Amino acid sequence: MKKWIGMTVLFVFVIGFLAACGNNSDEGRADSAANAGSKDDKEASASEAINLTYFSWDPSMEETNSALIEKFEEAHPGVTIELQSYEPTDYWPKVSAMAASGNAPDVLDMSSGYVDEWASKDLLLNLQEYIDADLNEADYFTDVFNAVRYPDKENGDMYAFPYAWVSTVLFYNKDMFDEAGLEYPTNEWTWDEFLNASQELTIDTNDDGNTDQYGFWFYGRYAQIEPWIYQNNGDILNEDKTEFVVDANGKEALKFLTDLTTEHKVSPRPKDVEGTNQQDLFPTGKVAMWVDGSWNIANNRDIIGDAFDWDIATVPRGNNWSEDVTYGWPDNIAISKTTKHADMAWEFVKFMTGEERSVEEFAGGKVPIYKATAESEAWLENDQKPANKSIILEQGELIGRNSYTPGWSEWRGYGAAEGSGMNGEIDQVLDGVKTFDEALESLTPYANDVLERAN
Amino acid sequence: MQYFKKSAYLFLLPTIIGLLLFRLIPVIFAFFTSFTDWDIYSPPVWIGLENYTRIFQSGEFWQILRNTLLFTAIYTVGVCIIGLFFAMLLNQRLKGIKFFRSLFFLPVITSIVAVGIIWNWILSPQNGILNILLDKIFNLQEPISWLGDPDYALIALALVYIWKSVGYQMLIFLAGLQNIPTELQEAAQMDGANKWKVFTKVTLPLLTPTIFFVLVITIIESFHTFGITHSMTQGGPYNATNTLSYFIYQNAFVHFNMGYASSLSFVLFILILVITWINFLYRKKWVNY
Repeated sequence: MKKWIGMTVLFVFVIGFLAACGNNSDEGRADSAANAGSKDDKEASASEAINLTYFSWDPSMEETNSALIEKFEEAHPGVTIELQSYEPTDYWPKVSAMAASGNAPDVLDMSSGYVDEWASKDLLLNLQEYIDADLNEADYFTDVFNAVRYPDKENGDMYAFPYAWVSTVLFYNKDMFDEAGLEYPTNEWTWDEFLNASQELTIDTNDDGNTDQYGFWFYGRYAQIEPWIYQNNGDILNEDKTEFVVDANGKEALKFLTDLTTEHKVSPRPKDVEGTNQQDLFPTGKVAMWVDGSWNIANNRDIIGDAFDWDIATVPRGNNWSEDVTYGWPDNIAISKTTKHADMAWEFVKFMTGEERSVEEFAGGKVPIYKATAESEAWLENDQKPANKSIILEQGELIGRNSYTPGWSEWRGYGAAEGSGMNGEIDQVLDGVKTFDEALESLTPYANDVLERAN
Repeated sequence: MQYFKKSAYLFLLPTIIGLLLFRLIPVIFAFFTSFTDWDIYSPPVWIGLENYTRIFQSGEFWQILRNTLLFTAIYTVGVCIIGLFFAMLLNQRLKGIKFFRSLFFLPVITSIVAVGIIWNWILSPQNGILNILLDKIFNLQEPISWLGDPDYALIALALVYIWKSVGYQMLIFLAGLQNIPTELQEAAQMDGANKWKVFTKVTLPLLTPTIFFVLVITIIESFHTFGITHSMTQGGPYNATNTLSYFIYQNAFVHFNMGYASSLSFVLFILILVITWINFLYRKKWVNY
C-alpha cells in the first residue's frame, strides 16, 4: 500500500515536471495573446482613433523609433502607434506565438531570413500594390528588394519593405599589412593573393609554438560563407531553393574556406576562441583580416579607437569568378495580414523607411534604403574610419543571390540551436572532428529533410 | 462523524484548477499533439506515429540520448558525493557555521544568466582563469577549450550544473545528518571504531532514506537541463552538450516543430518513469528504515 502511494506521488511529480517544462512558454503565449486581445477591444470602442502596434527587435533603437513615431503621429492626427521593443532572442518566439494565435502586431520588424517562412504561412500583407502605386523605385536601392520577394525571388511580390541594408566586406588591419611589408587588399584580389597575405600575416611572435597573430578569421556562418561562394559563381541551393545541393563552384569555395583553418592554419579554430565574441577578434588585433557584415563597422570603431589603422575592401574573387557579386541583405518592416488598418500601417511603413528617417540613425555600416539619405556626405562619415566606406554603396548595385528559405534557421542551425545544421557541420570540419566530405555527406540529407518538411 | 466538510473542496479549488489548467490539460494536449505535424501557425495535421518513427530513425536523437544519459550519470554521482561531503563538513559546531552554510547554498539562488557568463569566463580557452591555473601547475601544451571541444564540453557543463545545484542536496543531507542521534556515533567510538568506520557503519546506513530521496530527485532533476545549457553552450559545439530537454525546447520554440517536440517529451517521460521505477524496485535492497 505504502509503495503504491509512493509510486502515485512520484508519477504526479514526474508529470508535473514535464508539464512545467512546457508551461513557462505557454503562459507567456497566453499572456501576450491576452494583451493583444485587450488592445483590439480598445480599438473597437474608439471608432474614430486608429491604434497601431509596432514591434521592434532593437531596444537600442527605442529612442529613435519613438522620435519618428512622434513625428508621424503629429502628421496624422488621431493615429496612435504603440511601440514595443524586444531583444532578438525574445522577439521571434514572441511575435511567432502572437501570429500563431492570430494577434500579430500590425507592424513589425522582419528579418530577410524569415520573410519566406512568414509569407508562405500567409501571415504578411502583400505590399506590392502599395509600392507600385506610391513609390518611385529610383529613390531606393532596389537590388536588395529581392530578399523580401515571395514566392519567386526575381519576380515575386514584396511582403516587407526594407529600411536599411548591409553588405559583406573584407576588414583588414592596415598596421599589420605595413609591418609585414604587404600591399593592401584591392577589390580585384584573387584567392591566391588573399591566401598568400594570410600566410604572411600568421605569426608566432614569441616563438612558443603557438600562433599569436592569425592572418584571417573564418567564422563559419552565413555572412562569412555566402559572399565567397557567390564570388566564385557557386551556390548551395538549387534554382528554386527547394533543395540543398552544393554545386562544384560552391564546393570549391567551401573547401577553400575550411582549408584556411585546417590545412593552412591561418585562421583560429572555433574551439580556440570559444567564449570570445567572434566580432571582437578583429578589433582586438588578434587577426589581420576578417569577412563579415558591414554593420560591424560600429563595433570596430568602439573597440579599436585609435589603436590601429584599418579599412575595408570587397570579398576576394574566386577561381571561377565572372562578375562581382555582393552578398547583402536588407532589414525590413512588414505589415501583418490581420491588421485592421492596412492603409494607415502602410503610411507608417513608408514613413519609417523614407526620407524622414535621418542619416544619424544609421550607425556604422548600415545603409539607408532611401538613396538620397545614403548618398549624402553625412552617411560617408569622412572624418572616421574606414576610409573606403563608399565601396559599400557601390556594392549596393551588385547584390545578387541569397540562401534564405523556409526553415532556414533550422537547416543552418541558428537561434539557440547553434550546434546543429550547417553551422555545426562546418565547425566540426574546422575543429578537425570530421573531414570536409564527411560533413557534406551528413549535412546534405539533414538540410534536405528540413527543406522538404518546411516547403 | 464527518471528517471532511464540503467546504474543504472550496479551499482546494484554486489548486485543482491550477493543476488542471497548467499541468494536466497541457499534458493531455501534448499527448495528442505528439501524433501531429504542427508548426503553430497552421492547424495541426494528424500524422499518426510518424513523429515517433522519425525520432528513432534519426541519428541526432541517439546522440542526444547518449549525451543525456552520460550527463545524468556525471551529474547524479557528482551531486550526491559532493553534496554529502559538504554536508559532513558543515555538520559541525563551529563558529560562523551558519555563514558557511549559506555560502555553500548561494549558487542555488544565483541567477542562471550570471552563472553562465561567469563560468564562460572561467572556462574560456584564451584568458580563462582555469586554463591559466592549469598552465601554472601542469604547463599545458595548448589551451584546453572546455566548452568548445566535444571531448570536454559535456563534462565541463555538467560540473557547472553540479556547482550550481549541489547546495540544495547538501541542505537535505545536512537535515538527514542532524536527524541521526549523536549517541549512536559516540557509542561506536567508545567501542573503538575509528572515524571512517563510524561513517561507513553508522552514519551512512542511517542516512540511506535521505540518500534515496536525494537520488530520486537528483536523477529527475538531471533530465531537467535547460537554463545553464541555454546561457552557456546552446547545445553546441555541434550537439555535444545537447540533452533531451534542451532538444525539446529547440524543436518546440526555435524551429516550431510542436508535434515532434511533443513526441520527444513523451519519450523523455517514459525514460524518467522507467528509471524512477527501477530506483524504487531496488530500494529494499539498500535502504534501511
